[in-house]
Amino acid sequence: MQLPLVGDIPSDVIAAWVLSAVMGVVLFIFVMKKRKWPLIWEYMTTTHHRKIGTMYILVSIIFFFRAGMDALFIRMQLAVPNNDFWVFQGDKYNEVFTTHGTMMIFFVAMPFLIGLMNVAVPLQIGANDLAFPYLNAVSFWLFLAGGLIFNMSFFMNAAPNAGWTAYTPLSTDGFTSGPNNNYYIFGLQVSGLGTIMTAINMIVTIMRLRAPGLKMTRMPLFSWSTLITSLLILVAFPVLTTALFLLTFDRYYGTSFFVDDPVYYQHLFWIFGHPEVYILILPAFGIFSDVISNFAKKRVFGYTSMVIAIAIIGLLGFMVWAHHMFTVGLGAMANTFFAITTMMIAVPTGIKVFNWLFTIRRGVMRVTTPMLFSLGFIPTFVMGGVTGVMLAVAAADYQYHDSYFVVAHFHYTMVGGTILGVFAGIYYWYPKMTGKLLDEKLGKWHFWLFVIGFHLTFLPQHFAGLNGMPRRVFTYTTEDNVFGFNVISTAGAFLMGISMLFVIWNIYKTHKKTDNVGPDPWKGRTLEWTVASPAPEHPFEPMPKVTSIDPYWYGKKDNRELEVAESPRPSPIAVKTAQPILLAGTLMVLSIGFVYHWIWMQVMAGAGALLFLIWRFFTDERIEAYRKEEER
Amino acid sequence: MSQSTSEALFKDKRLGFFLYLGVEATMFATLFATYIIYTPAPEGPAPESVYEARTVILASIFLLSSSGTLLVAESGLKDWTLWKIWTGIGITFLFGAIFMGLEVHEFYKYAHEGYTIGANNFLGSFYVLVGLHASHVLFGLCWMSLLMVQLKKNAIPRALFIEKHKIFNYYWHFVDVIWVLIIIIVYTPFLI
Repeated sequence: MQLPLVGDIPSDVIAAWVLSAVMGVVLFIFVMKKRKWPLIWEYMTTTHHRKIGTMYILVSIIFFFRAGMDALFIRMQLAVPNNDFWVFQGDKYNEVFTTHGTMMIFFVAMPFLIGLMNVAVPLQIGANDLAFPYLNAVSFWLFLAGGLIFNMSFFMNAAPNAGWTAYTPLSTDGFTSGPNNNYYIFGLQVSGLGTIMTAINMIVTIMRLRAPGLKMTRMPLFSWSTLITSLLILVAFPVLTTALFLLTFDRYYGTSFFVDDPVYYQHLFWIFGHPEVYILILPAFGIFSDVISNFAKKRVFGYTSMVIAIAIIGLLGFMVWAHHMFTVGLGAMANTFFAITTMMIAVPTGIKVFNWLFTIRRGVMRVTTPMLFSLGFIPTFVMGGVTGVMLAVAAADYQYHDSYFVVAHFHYTMVGGTILGVFAGIYYWYPKMTGKLLDEKLGKWHFWLFVIGFHLTFLPQHFAGLNGMPRRVFTYTTEDNVFGFNVISTAGAFLMGISMLFVIWNIYKTHKKTDNVGPDPWKGRTLEWTVASPAPEHPFEPMPKVTSIDPYWYGKKDNRELEVAESPRPSPIAVKTAQPILLAGTLMVLSIGFVYHWIWMQVMAGAGALLFLIWRFFTDERIEAYRKEEER
Repeated sequence: MSQSTSEALFKDKRLGFFLYLGVEATMFATLFATYIIYTPAPEGPAPESVYEARTVILASIFLLSSSGTLLVAESGLKDWTLWKIWTGIGITFLFGAIFMGLEVHEFYKYAHEGYTIGANNFLGSFYVLVGLHASHVLFGLCWMSLLMVQLKKNAIPRALFIEKHKIFNYYWHFVDVIWVLIIIIVYTPFLI
């Protein structure tokens, strides 16, 4: 569409501007009318883990809708052969699948899980907050800044277009010279920094802030999976940071690392990228373990083997990256090695699946919404696992590689695993976030529509892939013999879209109609159900003493209160501060300066970011706390 | 209370900072790998003709001994001997600054001889790796000056100053270890 002053702009970008403007005005009026500014300010300056976790999840839901719309555009374009849907052909299609993938991985799945960790982990282990509350706020705002940078690209008609992997040499300036992939780099760098900080925070919290008596061997499995996941983040994310750093030099400062050696980029990317998919799935495993144990009214079966399985998956996760590169030509030895390590991962995963089944066996089942999502997960994820083992066969992979078979496989694991886990977790811990219990009936509608829609969407894609349909193509012909699969797939995608409207309806209804629930609406087993809903600041005063696994459950069973621990360790210090959000804003400006090569802006924002460190140095909340101690 | 606030929170921070140094180590490890892969490059300048032993040796002497002088400050922290702390940080800062000057000189000289970052991938990986290390030193210098300001103003509790100083010490020693690896991996194979 030709616009005065700005020139030729695609109509979807214009539609997005208009829609956002309208929604912005509506939101503004709503906030004004309801006088919500103090609440917003409260959240903007908080360092409390529950509030930050809630914000993570809220933002993820918004990004989920945004990336889900991309998915619907993709499905519309692919619904029928030789289609010409709206503008989504050629490079526009490249942009839409790039944003869909990148958003879903980095700005939906990751922050969903990190949000749940924020809410649940401290409560599960009896910590009064995360170890570094201030750093936690920084992490969140950095994640949001990264997400906004990434999203801005679309509004500036410069969405990244080199795929979520940003493979070189396509992503170097010789082939994609515009600002598009700069947005990708800086969006990921800023949010990645936040993720690394969160991982550090989680590890320190789990290692040092557990309630007295809560040994590692008594820790709930979600906390265990958080610990292992955080360790994976610590090793994997710096590699991505470095890869993108080198790519930045290629794009900005005239080096040619990845122009000369594109395969090196692939190695670096997947040394990050494969652990990344375990970073996404392990927390979901943890959620399912806790949920299934709770609603089967049984201790989780094979606790020790569950922990060992998580650890082994985490370890093997670093030894399989080249299975993404079977067709690159690394040679038979390398392919064999990586094929075998990949297949080995099926063993600990299988152990986990059987343990879940044995937990359910002879349990007293309550099929609530979180449990329903867990039950739906088991067969779905097994299917994704089976196709995973198929793909691990290096020789066969030459046929599957870059086809819709792969697309179907990773959606079965990422949606069927991570996203179902996230939904289970949200329904399960919603009382701890907001104090309310989501409506069960609407929750079940959500589940059934989502799962049916999911299988309708992705099951046919296996066959489309086996029929030879490649990934990342915007159309196909009637003779390609994939039309039937694609049209079913499109119908399923819309069913999933509709199911998400039930989530909105549910949240609206719950907050309009129901009162707060008590501390323990699910008859829980672990420490988070001993504290009020929503979780207050410093919930563990007095500090409980833990004497067994699932302490709350066995306490209830024996009709006794949890013992009180004497002289617990001092709690982390909460503050109210706007520094984190301002710092994130400064880094956002810095990134924009880089995206558009505005050196004055880079210098100013860079100096600004350093000034923040100085400001922080002199306003440390520990000054006051240590002084009090000194005076005592 | 079984544990004082400052003691517990210091241990939290120390563990967190060690984990952070692990992150840094992974980044440097990746850059070392990059350097090893691309050096020597098939065409363009060779490392033997670029490197100059004198600057490297001088820079190493100053940076490595600055880790030693920092130990003086550390021992001063134990019984709060102010002159030791001041001497320790002061000399460390001075040595760090001299190292920084030598680095700038080295980069400037190389670039002037035509050995720029884009000349080939060997030089590209050299500049990214050694440049990232140099920027860590620069960051450390700024950090040290903030520490000195706080020591001078005496505005924060002693326990907090000791905490901040110790965390800085870990950082500085880490940066030194990276420099040792740079000497071993980057320079030595092409200077002997």
